[in-house]
Amino acid sequence: MADTGRVTLYHWEPNANSGKPMLTLFEKGVAFDSHYLDLLAFDQHKPDYLAVNPLGTIPAMTHGDRVLTESTAIMEYVDEAFPGPRLMPANPVDAWRVRWWMKFMDQWLGPSFSMIGWSVFVGPSVRQRDPAELEAAIERIPLPERRIAWRKAISGSFSDEEMAESRRRVALGIGLLEEALGRREWLGSDSYSLADINGFNLGYALPLSQPHLSNDALTPNIMRWLRAIYARPATKACWALGRTDMAKRVTILESEPA
Amino acid sequence: MTTTLYHGEPNGPSLTVLAAAFEKQVDLALERIDLVAGERHGARVPHAMEVEQSIEGEGPVLVVDGTPMADSVFIACYLDDIGTGAALRPADPYARWQMMAWCRYAIERLAPAAAYLGLHAAPPAAVPEGIASIDLAERWRDAVAGRFDEGKLADSRTKVAQAADKIEAQLADGRDWLMGDFTIADLETYAWLAGMPALVADAFKGKPLTHGWLARVRARPSVARALSLAATATPETVWAPGPEINRWG
Repeated sequence: MADTGRVTLYHWEPNANSGKPMLTLFEKGVAFDSHYLDLLAFDQHKPDYLAVNPLGTIPAMTHGDRVLTESTAIMEYVDEAFPGPRLMPANPVDAWRVRWWMKFMDQWLGPSFSMIGWSVFVGPSVRQRDPAELEAAIERIPLPERRIAWRKAISGSFSDEEMAESRRRVALGIGLLEEALGRREWLGSDSYSLADINGFNLGYALPLSQPHLSNDALTPNIMRWLRAIYARPATKACWALGRTDMAKRVTILESEPA
Repeated sequence: MTTTLYHGEPNGPSLTVLAAAFEKQVDLALERIDLVAGERHGARVPHAMEVEQSIEGEGPVLVVDGTPMADSVFIACYLDDIGTGAALRPADPYARWQMMAWCRYAIERLAPAAAYLGLHAAPPAAVPEGIASIDLAERWRDAVAGRFDEGKLADSRTKVAQAADKIEAQLADGRDWLMGDFTIADLETYAWLAGMPALVADAFKGKPLTHGWLARVRARPSVARALSLAATATPETVWAPGPEINRWG
């Protein structure tokens, strides 16, 4: 029942939510049609894409006539529906830990990273555009909470308290990752898993974006882990689909351990 | 193998995990703790980073061979893996994706809203000692001091109404359970929603299918058994700080 047809992935850069199912597909060796959406041009809110995913969130995947959204749930689907190396540990406690980490990164750590990322990258690059055109683009966003988020990012109106809380979480999260990776080779268990794919998408640029918190001296286990994931052929193939300088940040991992 | 479940009143995540264990006929020692008194942070319950930093907030802790585990949906997945009772997740990968995506919606949108409204109706008396998570400690302090934001209360009522709309639509084809077969999605959704008809009555008006589903879940032997462990007459009114409301709005 597994193979019901062609796989198409609608994604932005190999980064964060888009990169999670991308890298999972590459690790499983699943051939897929890559459909790149330019997040900064609001491709995800245009009629062509809304016909696929009416919520206008990225990524989405089609498998035959099935449509799937929610990047972490898509990762579990890809792991279960296709042959290839298992990316969820067989041990049920390890599987629990993999899911725990994915939730922690998706809902607690990731939003703090992205608040910082949007304020320094997405906001400034979108703000160059014509305000009326931008407002019209925001009005087309189907989910009200995404409209609020885009307005905040574009206007740069995150409060000092919000940004300070995001920085606190990033620092604490880096510490917890380092601790976990000091206990095991991989994040959730002793084998490479969806938690590592998820975590790499969140943290691949850490030594560049948070050099004072993550480097060979302070977080040797995070650095070992990021370099090991970057060395995998699937990761190289996945990041080759990147088109912007954001994805190119991954080359920081070509540096030699200090 | 020794397995111990530290659980609070059968409401929210404690209800999900208790009922899942009973569905799966998992042999475990039950230890009641008072989540509203902050007992999870004291010496009686084994500590671990995954419990202290769990973004579910105050929930049950399952200890398997010395490993403390938190987060009700994922504990339920664990119980589904190891127990002998009927499966609580569909076997088909696409149906399983539907269930996991539904549960993600429940824990990300419904749970924070329900916990906020429940806590507003019945705030805890004091902030416990020893809370490791800074943001969870702040939710405790706000609740105890009665600091509830009007905007967040209104948004939470909207989220509960949206959940009821979603359930009513899901049941429109006449099915008994959210995913067809009974799954973790029924447990998790019910566990957060059980106390809401009393607090957001309008959200449930004109939704006969949702009322029928609530009654069916409540009558399920596993859920009835979990509810029979309640120390109070109305466990659905007992709340401790839960997941935070999404900081992005």
